[in-house]
Amino acid sequence: MSAAPTDAARTLGLPEHPDPARMRRERGVRLRAAMADKGIDALVLLSNSNVTYATGASWPLSDHGRGNVERPVAVVLADDDVPHLFTPFAADVATRVDLDDGHLHGPTYLDVGEGVAAFAAALGELVPPTATLAIDDVTGAMHGARETFFAEWPPRSASDVMGPARLIKTPDELTYLRHGLWITEQAMADVQARLVPGARQTDLTATFLHRVFELGAEANVLDPIWQVMPDRQADLPWTTHGDLACPLLSTERRLERGDVLWVDTGISFGGFHSDFGRTWVVGAGPTDRRRAQHRRWCDINDAVVSVMRAGVSAADLTAAAKAVCGGDRPWMSHFYLGHGLGLDSAEAPYVGTDLGESYDRRLVLEAGTVVVIEPVVWDEGHSGYRSENVFVVTDDGCVSLTDYPYDPYGN
Amino acid sequence: MATEPLPDPKALRHARRERALAAMEAHDLDLLVLGRVANIRYVSGVPVLWNAGTRPFGPGAVLVRATGEVHLMSTWDEGVPKEIPRDHLYGITWNPMNYVAVLERIGADLRPHRVGTDAMSPLFAQLLPMAFPGAAIVDGGPALRDARRVKTSEEVDAIRAAVAVAEAGLAAAVAELRPGVSERELTGVFMDAMATRGVTTPATQDVVRISTARGAREAGADGRVRAGDVVAFDAGVVADGYTGEAGRTWPVEPDGAAGAVGGLYERWERLWGRLLAACRPGAVGSGLLDAYKAAGEPLPRRPIGRGLGLGFDDPVIVGDLPETAANERLDPGVVLLVTGCVTDDRVASVIAHEAVLITPDGPEVLSGSPFWNRERGGATT
Repeated sequence: MSAAPTDAARTLGLPEHPDPARMRRERGVRLRAAMADKGIDALVLLSNSNVTYATGASWPLSDHGRGNVERPVAVVLADDDVPHLFTPFAADVATRVDLDDGHLHGPTYLDVGEGVAAFAAALGELVPPTATLAIDDVTGAMHGARETFFAEWPPRSASDVMGPARLIKTPDELTYLRHGLWITEQAMADVQARLVPGARQTDLTATFLHRVFELGAEANVLDPIWQVMPDRQADLPWTTHGDLACPLLSTERRLERGDVLWVDTGISFGGFHSDFGRTWVVGAGPTDRRRAQHRRWCDINDAVVSVMRAGVSAADLTAAAKAVCGGDRPWMSHFYLGHGLGLDSAEAPYVGTDLGESYDRRLVLEAGTVVVIEPVVWDEGHSGYRSENVFVVTDDGCVSLTDYPYDPYGN
Repeated sequence: MATEPLPDPKALRHARRERALAAMEAHDLDLLVLGRVANIRYVSGVPVLWNAGTRPFGPGAVLVRATGEVHLMSTWDEGVPKEIPRDHLYGITWNPMNYVAVLERIGADLRPHRVGTDAMSPLFAQLLPMAFPGAAIVDGGPALRDARRVKTSEEVDAIRAAVAVAEAGLAAAVAELRPGVSERELTGVFMDAMATRGVTTPATQDVVRISTARGAREAGADGRVRAGDVVAFDAGVVADGYTGEAGRTWPVEPDGAAGAVGGLYERWERLWGRLLAACRPGAVGSGLLDAYKAAGEPLPRRPIGRGLGLGFDDPVIVGDLPETAANERLDPGVVLLVTGCVTDDRVASVIAHEAVLITPDGPEVLSGSPFWNRERGGATT
C-alpha cells in the first residue's frame, strides 16, 4: 500500500496492510451468525459484490453484459468455515485467495439452461435437497428452470443476511477502501491540473483512466461524470419530478472557460469501490456568489458531521442538513443526502431517500459504517455546488476518509 | 461520439424493436419487463450511464407487444427518442412498491396473460405477480435471444466501429511494450487511447497479461515485463452500446526463446485456420470446439466463442456447455469473438481474439490488427 498513513488511519486503528485471510474469516463468522439467525443452510450468491464479500476474491470487473455471462458464484454453507467459489478466474484467484481445491471450482454459466443444470448438480454435491437456500439474484435461465432449481418460489432472499453483514466495515476492509480513495484522488489531481478550456469531457476521462490503472486500480466502475451545470435549471433536461437532471452522460463536448463542472466517479481496488465528488470551474475562479454556494455547502456538511456518530438515526442527519436550509431538502430527490460505500458504489445505508422519514428514523448508524455525504446547493440563476465526502462512523463521531481540496473554491 | 447524449439512430432503433416485437409474438409474450442494460437499450435506443459489473434486477424498461410502446425508467428525457413520450418515463425510486405501481398502471388496460422478464430476483419474484395479477411471469430470455442473435446491417456497422476503437487502443498499448513496463501501465495506455477516441467504456478491464509460463511469471510478480516474456492483450470496448474486441499476443525481445515461442505461434496459426473454417454459415457452434480437437490443442477453460452485439451477446461457446454449442447455428449476421489459445506449460500461452461476422459467403474477419511475425521478428497483418 502506498497511501501515506494519516490521522484518519491512526484514529481508526487501520493496519498498514490489510490481512485478506483475517478479513474473510471475520466476514464468514458474521455471515454464518446471520444465517443461523434466519434459519438458512446455504447462501447462493451471484452478484459480483456479494461474491467478493463472501470469498475475498476480486477481479477486474467487466462491462455489465459480459459480467453476467462470466460471473463468479459463491456458495456459503452454514456448517463450513470456508466458502465455495465457482469462477472463470480460478488460476488468478488461487494465488490470491487461500481456497483449497475442494472449495475452488471452475466456471458456471447461469445465463444458459445447460449451465444452470450443471450448477444444480454441483450444488447437490454440497447441500442436501432438504437444505434451506437463500439467493441474491436469479438469471433468466434460472427463472426458466425454477421448478427444478428452486424448492420454493419465490426463493428466499439472501439480502436479509448480506445487507446487515456488509453494513459494518472491519479495519482490513477500511484499509482497502481508503487505498482505493487514495488512488482516485491522486488521479483526480492530475485531471484537475489539466482542466483547460477546449478540453473534451472524454479527454478528462482519458487522463483519469490512464492514471488510475497506473496507480494500481483493479477496475474503473463508473463512466466518469463531468457534468456542465448551467445557471438555470430550465437549461437542463426535463425531469419526471421537477428536480435537477443529474448525473448526465459525458460526451466529446468541449469545455468552455467558466463552465461549472459537477464531477463524480469511482474505481475499485481489492473489490472496494471509491467515490469522488467535487465541483470545479473551468479556467477561472468562482464568482463571489458561487463561493457563497460553497460556504453554504460546507455549512450543511459540517452540520451533518456534527451529529454523525454511532446511535443516531438517518433522520438525525437529514434533519441537521435541512436545518441549515430553512427546512428545505438540500439533496436531489431521486437520490439521497448520503449513501453507504463498500463493495458497491452506493450501498446501504441510504440516508434521505424516497423511502421516507419513518424509514430514516428506524435506520440507526453503527460504528464502522461508511457514509458518503453528498448535499447539493442549487442557486437558481447562478448554477450550484455539489461535493461528496466519505466518512466512517465511530462511537463518538466520525472520521473523514476524503482528503481532497475544494479548489478552486478554497478550503 | 457526439457532443451531447443522443438516442441510437432511428433505423437502428426501429429495426431492433421490430425484431423484439416479432420475437414476443413468436414466444407469446404480451409484455417484456427488462432489467439487463443491453436489452433495455435494444428496445429503447437510449444510452444509459455505464457501470462495471452485475446489477440487481429492476424494471428498467417495458415493451408492450400490442402497441409497440416502450416505457422506460429514466428520471430525465435526455437521449430519449420522440417515440417514447414523457408520460412513458418513470423515475428511479428506492421504494420497490413504486415500481409495482408503475407496472400496474402499464398493465391495467392491457391485462397481459404472459409477461416475460430477462432476469429476476427474489424480491421481484414476489412483486411482479402483484403488478400483473393473473399473468404468467416467464423467462423472456429465449425471445430476446431470438431477436438479438442475428444482427441487422446497422448493428454490424456499429460493431465494426467498436472494433476499430478497440484495435486503436490495442495498437497504442502494443507500441509501448518493452522490458520494464508493467501490465497496469499498458492497461492505462489502452484506456487512454480508447477514451481519446471518444469511447470511455471498456468491455473488459483485464487487458494485459504476461502469459509467460509460471517460472518467469513468478519472477515478474510485480507485473513488469522482462525481455523474453510473452504478453497477451485483450482489447474490448463498448462504443455506442456495441461491443468491439480484438486480442493479440506479443513476445518481448524474444531472441533467446524465439524457437519455442515461434513454435507456439505456428501452432496458433494452424488452430486459427481450423477455427475460421468452422465459422461457415449454417454450421453449428460446436464446430469451434471440434476445431481445437482436430488441431490437437486442449480446450481452454474460458469461452472460445462469444457473441458480439449490443453489449455482450449470445452465443457463448465453451467446452463446459457442449449441448449449447451443438444447438447454436451460425446464421449469416451472427458476429462472434473467436478465441484461439495455445499453451505450452514450459513456455507461454499465445492467445488471440478475432471478431468474425458470419456472411452468406463465409466468415469475414472484422479485426485486422497485426500479429508478431516469427520469421521477421516484426509485425505482420
